[in-house]
Amino acid sequence: MTRLVHAELRKYLTTRLAWSMPLTMFLLGGIFAAVQGLVLVLLGEIPTGAGGEVIRPSELFDDLTLARMVYTGAVQMGYLLALVLGILTMSGEFRHKTITATLLSSPRRGSLIAAKVISLALVVVLNSLAFIAGSLLGGGITLALGDAALFPEPVELTTTLLRMVLVLVLWGLMGFGLGVLIPNQVIALFVGVGVTLLIEPLLGFGLTFVEQLADAARYFPSQASTSVLDLFAGVDEQTAQQMGAADPLTWWVAALVLLAYAAVMTVLGWVVTARRDVS
Amino acid sequence: MTAAEIQGSGISVRGLTKSFGSFLAVDDLTFEVRPGRVTGFLGPNGAGKTTTLRMLLGLIRPSAGEALIGGRRYADLSSPMQVVGAALEATGFHPGRSGRDHLRVLAATHGIPDARVDQLLELVGIPAAARKRAGDYSMGMRQRLGLAGALLGDPDVLLLDEPANGLDPEGIRWMRGFMQHLARDQGKTVLVSSHMLSEVEQTVEDVVIIANGHLVREGTMEELHGEPSTLVRTTDPAALAAALDRAGIGSAVEDGGAALRATTGDLARVGDVALAAGLPVHELRPLRTDLERLFLQLTEAPEHRNRNLAGGELVGGDPDGAAPPVRAAGDGPPVGQPAGDGPARAGARHTDVPAPAEETR
Ligand SMILES: Nc1ncnc2c1ncn2[C@@H]1O[C@H](COP(=O)(O)OP(=O)(O)O)[C@@H](O)[C@H]1O
Ligand SMILES: [Mg+2]
Repeated sequence: MTRLVHAELRKYLTTRLAWSMPLTMFLLGGIFAAVQGLVLVLLGEIPTGAGGEVIRPSELFDDLTLARMVYTGAVQMGYLLALVLGILTMSGEFRHKTITATLLSSPRRGSLIAAKVISLALVVVLNSLAFIAGSLLGGGITLALGDAALFPEPVELTTTLLRMVLVLVLWGLMGFGLGVLIPNQVIALFVGVGVTLLIEPLLGFGLTFVEQLADAARYFPSQASTSVLDLFAGVDEQTAQQMGAADPLTWWVAALVLLAYAAVMTVLGWVVTARRDVS
Repeated sequence: MTAAEIQGSGISVRGLTKSFGSFLAVDDLTFEVRPGRVTGFLGPNGAGKTTTLRMLLGLIRPSAGEALIGGRRYADLSSPMQVVGAALEATGFHPGRSGRDHLRVLAATHGIPDARVDQLLELVGIPAAARKRAGDYSMGMRQRLGLAGALLGDPDVLLLDEPANGLDPEGIRWMRGFMQHLARDQGKTVLVSSHMLSEVEQTVEDVVIIANGHLVREGTMEELHGEPSTLVRTTDPAALAAALDRAGIGSAVEDGGAALRATTGDLARVGDVALAAGLPVHELRPLRTDLERLFLQLTEAPEHRNRNLAGGELVGGDPDGAAPPVRAAGDGPPVGQPAGDGPARAGARHTDVPAPAEETR
């Protein structure tokens, strides 16, 4: 198994993805954290839509919450990229027909999938570091410019950042499951990004009109991810609701929900892969 | 062949069947590949060669039957690359990964060091190109890289799927020499597929010929060639035939009665008999089976018509027309041999196919 993981890591490290993905992670992390900082700290006003009311984040939030929000401001970009990494892990093999050579060198498909899952988790962790570095840089600049505290309460803030790594890893695994289930890379990417950016928000919005199902949206991947980060820990409920974070799941429940998505998709993909003819 | 030999590094295919939906790509195929020999796995395009090889390697699940290497299924081998090396058709390389890195990835699965990778790149002749992106490789370089991948684990058994495809004549010559080197010098078991008998006829010792997923012939190359015979031209063929007969050599008239076909490969003896009988020899040369034509007859016989060709334009419909142009074709049955089922074919397992056609060349 160690050898298979080693081979999978080598696979990742020997294409352009090895540097283009962390670079993208770094840049997008920086840009979106900076944008978040710009809105929350530098502009200092968020219109809520209801009767021209505005939220002044610097008045409402303590230093920790503000820093948390800024540094995780790019998380959606991060987990989308992690999703893409996960999808590419398997569908890339089909796209370039490297699956034949791969299966010849590791014919036990269960072991292969396990090795891929482990190496993907490692790769996503590595990429998360670049992502966090970018976020700290981009977010840090805006916090400094806005005279806000740069790194208040290091332990809590670090915990938040580690949870962001967890979110990215879980999204990578969800992408992996998707890529195994849908070997066509283009379709898999389309479905993955499409569901996240379009279907999920639309569905979530639709569900708010259905009384019995209104709570279900909490279990959607994006909302569960926000719950994992637990950004509004120190904020009163009314403000949290105004920020669109109503009644979140407990962070570890949300993490398990994401893990369940990843596991179900991977197991389904596993079953399909074990039987699939490779020709 | 003993069970022990098969255990070693032979290949055994039994009742192997694969259907894709309602399409029967491989149909109850049974054959053996002897260890330490080069076996040609032949059949026209679409005959089911690649599908069979992929079933041997656990890439395609057989609908029925089994395919074993050294008595075991590929997926059950603990270090498969050290037992079997395969270079399959349509094996891809990541276009952005260098050939060397492609091999290093495979090597990592078996703990094979980089030094072995470089050694193989040297051996297949692409050490320099190996550091460039595989997306820019020519077909020939891809074939060589595939071969290097197959050899990484120094396996005893090699499965090569159409290795000469896309190679230029120089590349084909190299590939031939390389296969010979692997078999003769290193004693490897080689199963090499091709849709052209002529491509491998100098290289292989045994043949397995399939058409439309069926076995049509299995045996040694000698069996395919048939009994060696000699064409001898003289002034009085009848007298020479009698003299040969007294010397224990069978013969038949050839070339419309102007020559004889002696059923021996020993040219000197035929010449000696003629000299002893006081007959002049005007021509004396070995006769060979036209293997290409035989191959066409085997695989394009009406019952094996290529299912992949649509409509009436079937090569098999007119084997004579499709065969390479030949000079005078003598079809007289050899003296002392019943037409159709000569002793030469007795050893070969075969099915309902016409007798091999012999041609003068
Ligand atoms: N995955 C597949 N699905 C459907 N038909 C297939 C598949 N793979 C091969 N075939 C068909 O099976 C037949 C045998 O193919 P193949 O084994 O590639 O032949 P060969 O290698 O002898 O040229 C062909 O008619 C081909 O079209
Ligand atoms: Mg083929």
